[in-house]
Amino acid sequence: VVDQIRLWQIEGERMKTTQGYLFREFEDWQEYDRTVKYAKDIGVLEWKNDSKWLFFVHKHEQLASFVKADKARRAAEGR
Amino acid sequence: MPKASKGVLVECDPAIKAIILKIDQEKNEYIVEDLDDTHLMVKDSKVQALKAKLDEELKNAVSYPDEDDDSDRG
Repeated sequence: VVDQIRLWQIEGERMKTTQGYLFREFEDWQEYDRTVKYAKDIGVLEWKNDSKWLFFVHKHEQLASFVKADKARRAAEGR
Repeated sequence: MPKASKGVLVECDPAIKAIILKIDQEKNEYIVEDLDDTHLMVKDSKVQALKAKLDEELKNAVSYPDEDDDSDRG
């Protein structure tokens, strides 16, 4: 019985799954960097890769608004 | 403008990841993106099927140390 319990524990740890959204195709490092920092600040960041400019979050609504606002701000600054 | 695609983040050890990659190779129906040594992104609708496949693979991979016992005795 103890062996069975141990086996189940191992099975549970095989893979951890999290539903969410992968963000990609940033225009430049600054856009990536600001967005990923914001994701971390609001506590939705699950995984990131700074060299690939990719990150994964478990919620995206707030982040989508941030990306739009950031884009508008940059456009206003003429960049 | 960055894009956001919906899916499931899978975190596992590299050995398990290698098995998942092997499972996906047949039809490429599970993995959206290979992220790093211990992370993958998988299609929402395919996670349960992948877990079942993984269990199957791991059951098949179980080996019994009969041969080793023989060699020790011999």
